[in-house]
Amino acid sequence: MKLLLKFHDSIRPLFEKGGKLEKVAPLFDAADTFAFTPAEQTHRGAHVRDAIDIKRVMVTVIYALLPCFFFGVWNAGHQYNMAHAIAGAGFVADMLRGLIIVLPIVFVSYAVGGFWEVLFACVRKHPINEGLLVSGFLFPLVLPPTIPLWQVAVGITFGIVIGKEIFGGTGMNVVNPALLSRAFLFFAYAKSMTGSVWIASHGDQVVDAVTGATPLGILSAMPEGATAAEAIASGQVSFMQMFLGTMPGSIGETSTLACLIGAVMLLLAGVGSWRIMLACVIGLLSTAALANVFGSSPMSQIPPHYHLVAGGFAFGAIFMATDPVSAAATNAGKWIYGFLIGMLIIIVRVLNAGFPEGVMLSILFMNLMAPLIDSFVVDHHIRRRLKRA
Amino acid sequence: MEFKVKKGFDVGLAGKPATRITDLAPAPTVAVYPLEFAGMKQRLLVTEGDAVRQGAILMEDKAREAFKLRAPAGGQVTSITRGARRFVEEIVIAVDPNAEQERFEAFAAAAIQGLERTVILDQLMTTGYLSLIRQRPFSHMADPAAQPKSIFINAMNTGPFQADAEVVTAEDPTAFQAGIDLLTRLTDGEVHLCVGATAGETLSGAQRVTLHRFEGPHPAGNTSVHISRIDPMCSSDTVWTVKAIDLVSIGRLFLDGTLPATRIICLGGPNVKPEAQQHYRLRTGGALEPLFSAALTAGDQRIIAGDVLSGTTIQADSHLRFMQSAITVIPASEERYFMGWTMPGLKRMSFSRLFASTWLPGKKDRPLGTHMHGEERALVLTGHYDKVMPLNILVDYLLRAVLAGDTDEMIALGILETDPEDFALCDVICPSKLELQEIIARGLRQIEEEGI
Repeated sequence: MKLLLKFHDSIRPLFEKGGKLEKVAPLFDAADTFAFTPAEQTHRGAHVRDAIDIKRVMVTVIYALLPCFFFGVWNAGHQYNMAHAIAGAGFVADMLRGLIIVLPIVFVSYAVGGFWEVLFACVRKHPINEGLLVSGFLFPLVLPPTIPLWQVAVGITFGIVIGKEIFGGTGMNVVNPALLSRAFLFFAYAKSMTGSVWIASHGDQVVDAVTGATPLGILSAMPEGATAAEAIASGQVSFMQMFLGTMPGSIGETSTLACLIGAVMLLLAGVGSWRIMLACVIGLLSTAALANVFGSSPMSQIPPHYHLVAGGFAFGAIFMATDPVSAAATNAGKWIYGFLIGMLIIIVRVLNAGFPEGVMLSILFMNLMAPLIDSFVVDHHIRRRLKRA
Repeated sequence: MEFKVKKGFDVGLAGKPATRITDLAPAPTVAVYPLEFAGMKQRLLVTEGDAVRQGAILMEDKAREAFKLRAPAGGQVTSITRGARRFVEEIVIAVDPNAEQERFEAFAAAAIQGLERTVILDQLMTTGYLSLIRQRPFSHMADPAAQPKSIFINAMNTGPFQADAEVVTAEDPTAFQAGIDLLTRLTDGEVHLCVGATAGETLSGAQRVTLHRFEGPHPAGNTSVHISRIDPMCSSDTVWTVKAIDLVSIGRLFLDGTLPATRIICLGGPNVKPEAQQHYRLRTGGALEPLFSAALTAGDQRIIAGDVLSGTTIQADSHLRFMQSAITVIPASEERYFMGWTMPGLKRMSFSRLFASTWLPGKKDRPLGTHMHGEERALVLTGHYDKVMPLNILVDYLLRAVLAGDTDEMIALGILETDPEDFALCDVICPSKLELQEIIARGLRQIEEEGI
């Protein structure tokens, strides 16, 4: 340890003002403060400080994402092996295959996102922000395993540069950068993001019986006259399967169970907002129940609790909607924001024939609305203060 | 009335001062720090080499000539230090034990209850002791022309550390009661005395005040919290506030007719020898060096006038400030530690639940140092500050309003009901390592300069 610290101190002058490598100072700073906490001392105000910093907060989110990541790796490999009729390949083979599929995507996301982050930090002369650690990890987890790597690069570039850096960087972004990256790919390269893209495979070898459709895809594509109850009864869609996540889908979001483990970690650590998570669930369940009563299409007849485990709801509500920068900031605002996300998801799923899934769009839309919600809440707060006066 | 404050956080600093009081040998020098009296337009009336009596005028306020700063002890003026823009920063006097005392009017305890408001204010102004009474909004010295709606006496402290009000008032209950009686003549409204749950006989037995008990973690002892719970301020209200320990000095001034020669303070913190962590009776404005040479441990340290939350750094050769009631000494250098972002952190202090220390049973007082534990970042975690803010304030939005320089918005969001010290805990727990007290103080200054 001491040796490493000495080494850092010995090369530090290179990166300081007037040093040869002054231009890439943020890179050294990132590596230096990654290894050891910054040497900074308090000057005035509170002389003692909490041990928490943004690095710790961001890394906690990464830890909470790991269950989803590992399950996603296994599931991607498992789905591949099933599609290629490598029956009973076993856990190790599934994991290895999954790593081959997923790791390059994560690597490209971090490498390209990191490049932009470092570039902006160097040009603007500010330290490298830790926000990328989360964005660069969230993004691969919401992509189909078949995504071409160049699209990963283009997507994360759009999300980081247009979604975040042009607003001033971490903390200033209006929408969630990872989700914006996905939305960009969804509309720009729709062929890679919809249809039979949910199982990584070499097209010609796929076993005929495997359709690769997600449960929401099955339900929304049901023929006239069929009901959701039939699909469920016939075993095409199983609650348990959706809960566990052993089905095709985006890499990290199929397993509600893995997402729940992450949610418990976030809530225990006090990093994720329980208000937003709970409000999303309430919004989703109540709107789905309304759809059950008043709707007539097959999608509207899905029992509300199926919506909880379907598609990317759990992942979105737990990891995407709770991004503190793009979510509502006031406590009352968080309830409204979460509830409306849940409601919008059902509206898109049930009423929109074009998109079987609406989590991404609902969260992005509410990201845009969050400042408006907060503004209402703050105005209300001010009016209440005036009334007291 | 009893009040329970829920939101807040006790930082848990090692080295809490014991309640015993030790008299310290008379200090060889005393000093006055004119910059403590913010807003004063300085007119210096002595030069180096002058012999002064105790209570002689050293300086007066050009804007309000009735307000004087006086010598806390008699002797010879040995040095006058000037700082930025030629402001006088320090006036040092070598103490002559045989010097004479300036006499002010003395009153019997019973007579104080019938004193005229103007008589009291005149004496407070000419001695400079009015600066111990503060005025909200803006927390500057009470304006004699203002009619305060009510007066709040703060007789408790929840932060680490301030002189214990019970300890100080019990030393001189007569002066404390005289101080209260003076306050009752200064307002047509009520005089509120706010004490902690453990207040003893002297505080609980005070006459002619309304007694309130507050319980809870810091900042339950902050005056802003007391005001907001007991009698919230409206935009046009003026409220005066005073610390119980200062009331003892004010009472003494009126009973004796001379400037109080001593002041009780506490000394605490991890870098104070355990047996020296206690209260001391010092000469008003006296040199602190004799105290430090005996009481402090070796090693790099930061000496803080006041507490670790809102105090200011001072040098070891410094003197006791007029409004100071505590000295805290903490370690100044802390080694950089390995991978702070993921190590369990068994010994870290944190309000968050991100460190193993939070999950271990039992709350420990730690030898906290001046380490920042991170670098400044953009605001990311929203609503984090509100968890330690018992006032009805949306901290994130108030902060943004100040940063944007929007005075209307700041006032609408209630900045006038606060004092920078109310944001000390936000400073402590901020993951982005901002200085909220400084930011709020800037906002208050801007409003004062622009006018409401």
